[in-house]
Amino acid sequence: MACHIYWLILMGLFCVSCEVSEPVDTMCTEVIGNKSYSCEDLGLREIPERLPATTEILDFSFNLLSSLHNSTFSKLKNLVYLDLTRCQINWVYEGAFQSNTHLNVIVLTGNLLMFLADTAFVGPQSLKHLVLTQTGLTSLAFIPMQNLDNLEIFDLGSNHISSLQLPPGFPTRNLKYLDFQINIIQRIAAKDIDILLQTKNLTLILKGNDIMYIEAGAFQSNLFYSLDFGGCIDISVVLAGMQDTKTHTLWLGSFEDVENGLPINSTMLQNLCNISVVDISLQKRHFLHLTAATFQCLSKLQRLDLTHTHISMLPPDISGMNMLEELILNRNAFKHICNISSTAFSSLTHLHIRENAENLDLGSGCLETLSKLQHLDLSHSYIENVDCCSKQLKGLIGLQHLNLSYNKQLQLQDLAFKEGANLELLDLAFTCLHINASQGPFRNLHLLRVLNLSYSYIDTNIQHLLQGLQTLFLLNLRGNKFPSGTILNDNLFHQVPSLEVLILSFCDLTAIQNQAFHTLKKLKQVDLSHNKLIAFSTDAFSSLKSIYLNFANNRIHIIPRDMLTNLSGQSIINLSYNPLECTCSNIGLITWYKQNMDKIEDPEGTVCCKPKSLAGTKLSTVTLSCGISVAGIVCAVLVLILLVAVILIWITRFLKRHYQQL
Amino acid sequence: MKMLNAAILISVLFYPSLSTAWPTHTVCKEKNLEIYYKSCDPVQDFALSIDGCSKILTNTFTIRAAMILRHNIQELSLNINLIINGKSILAYSQKLCEPSGRRFIFCGKKKGEHIYYEGPVTLGIHEIPQGEYKVSVKLYNGDHLTVACADFTIKNT
Repeated sequence: MACHIYWLILMGLFCVSCEVSEPVDTMCTEVIGNKSYSCEDLGLREIPERLPATTEILDFSFNLLSSLHNSTFSKLKNLVYLDLTRCQINWVYEGAFQSNTHLNVIVLTGNLLMFLADTAFVGPQSLKHLVLTQTGLTSLAFIPMQNLDNLEIFDLGSNHISSLQLPPGFPTRNLKYLDFQINIIQRIAAKDIDILLQTKNLTLILKGNDIMYIEAGAFQSNLFYSLDFGGCIDISVVLAGMQDTKTHTLWLGSFEDVENGLPINSTMLQNLCNISVVDISLQKRHFLHLTAATFQCLSKLQRLDLTHTHISMLPPDISGMNMLEELILNRNAFKHICNISSTAFSSLTHLHIRENAENLDLGSGCLETLSKLQHLDLSHSYIENVDCCSKQLKGLIGLQHLNLSYNKQLQLQDLAFKEGANLELLDLAFTCLHINASQGPFRNLHLLRVLNLSYSYIDTNIQHLLQGLQTLFLLNLRGNKFPSGTILNDNLFHQVPSLEVLILSFCDLTAIQNQAFHTLKKLKQVDLSHNKLIAFSTDAFSSLKSIYLNFANNRIHIIPRDMLTNLSGQSIINLSYNPLECTCSNIGLITWYKQNMDKIEDPEGTVCCKPKSLAGTKLSTVTLSCGISVAGIVCAVLVLILLVAVILIWITRFLKRHYQQL
Repeated sequence: MKMLNAAILISVLFYPSLSTAWPTHTVCKEKNLEIYYKSCDPVQDFALSIDGCSKILTNTFTIRAAMILRHNIQELSLNINLIINGKSILAYSQKLCEPSGRRFIFCGKKKGEHIYYEGPVTLGIHEIPQGEYKVSVKLYNGDHLTVACADFTIKNT
């Protein structure tokens, strides 16, 4: 007995040692055949031998390399993208990427670099993106500038760089994006960054640096795309240093996990008058006294982001904001929508007031002057209206997208969106709707393409609900209930003949009648997942050429083969998470399934439920032999045995009689 | 019986990953309040401490937390589940980072970066329930990949 145990232990140890000695490179996963491989987090100490020389994309993050030599990647001559995130690389020796002439991207995030050789990045003909984020850099002089001329994106964030003093060889020719976020830069002198004057449309990220001083004119007569000073304490320092600068975007906001900066008053913003900028963010800043004067130097803006700025009212006498096209007022505390003083912003095309902290009262005609408004987002704002929405949205004749999702409740009257004749998208998800219209509440929305009514608790009995929606393309009714859980032949869908996508998941459906969707000739996608359907039927759909049917998470046991054979062309079905029977009574499904695997979505989740012996087995691996049943065979054998016995008895009797006569 | 021992020994040798569940860390151990956590991310553990445990009862308290990102967090969402007697009593979810809305300075950090957060946390519930219960916290990114996952055990008497 003891002998057996040792034998077993020995075997166990042997197997373990087998596993260890086996070449580990087999564990890299092939993302795209011969081209893209992921070896993430495998504890590898070298590049696996077996990676093909054709590899172009290699994710080698979270391994253990410690140093890079000229032989490390010498076999992978076709590399284009190399991710070496957190490989504990300390040393990058000369010519480490010498053989990789096609290399475009090198990611070295999270390696504590102790030395980069002068020729560390020599080799690639066009190195476009170099990531040195969180590599312990203290000075830019540490980085060899040889062969970085083609850089477009240079990430140097989360280091300990204290000076923005850019060395003479700093790549500027093609540079588009330079990221210095979360370093310790406090002072910027003109001569530090004068080399950047050679760039155009640069995005410079200085977010998370405590900027204390910028030399006047340091950024002068330079053309930037975006300048990000997010989280700085005193924005007047930034604005003073930015005089005569041209930039598309200026990010001056702050964050919830950053100490509050100095509150903003109108004199602090005076310097904005000399900066050419069209898009400003002041997110999470405090305003000391918000008056019309605060907006004095904002008059040339096209986009203004005042997210989470603790405001409950915009001054009514703001003037000159005629250029503003997009205003973002999310996460504030407006009690009444009239308090945003919309008359001051007559050119607005986009207005966002989401996640309002107070119950937002939509009032009447408060947005009347915004005739150019195309997008209006009022989601998550505790809106509750007795009579919606023609009064509230009066004058918004240009409106195309309206988001009223995640509000309290709305009562939709006749022609609820009276002036919304141009509406293309209407989102009412998770907002409780009461419809007391004698005719369709949406019947004038002839251009509406997308309607989201998920979890809006609508009464699906109302036959005229979708009246007039001639061009509706997508209808989401997820989470709504139908009377007795059935979609009848005579239903509200007959009014939306252009429908291509219909979502009816989580609707507690138990049955769908045969002609339910027959008027929907263009239907291409139907999601019926997470219901209680017992039968799978394709009869309800008029066209079965390239249709997508999702029946996942229902209660379907058996599917007759003729329901499936009609599915032609590009059709896809999902039958996962149904209690499918893998018995001979379901042989039609099982044989069709194996022949049409290309039409199946989620084969991993499509498993047998019955019989118990096959529970959990994937449908694609089940084999059944259902010629004659077992009972049939037993019966036949018994009959045969009986027959033989009878014949034998008959013969013996015959012979006995015959011989007795002799 | 000895055979059984051997079988167990072998299975342990075969599946070393079985024994790599992360340790349970103690955040608070006071007279009336005990808080423990355990990482439920199979890939890594993380570090957390609360400054002054008694403050947790006031709904807003300061924490220090550190971890290494395994995925980019251009988009980051938080899911919290309060579980009492094995049943989920309260579920709460919130978006912390979006490309269009960066609420926290760490939004947009990249895979491989070390994250250290020291600052206030406000719970989405009004009162810290009494008794013994579990709170499961999950952070995931825009591709629904787990960024952090933790199960807290709280004994509040």
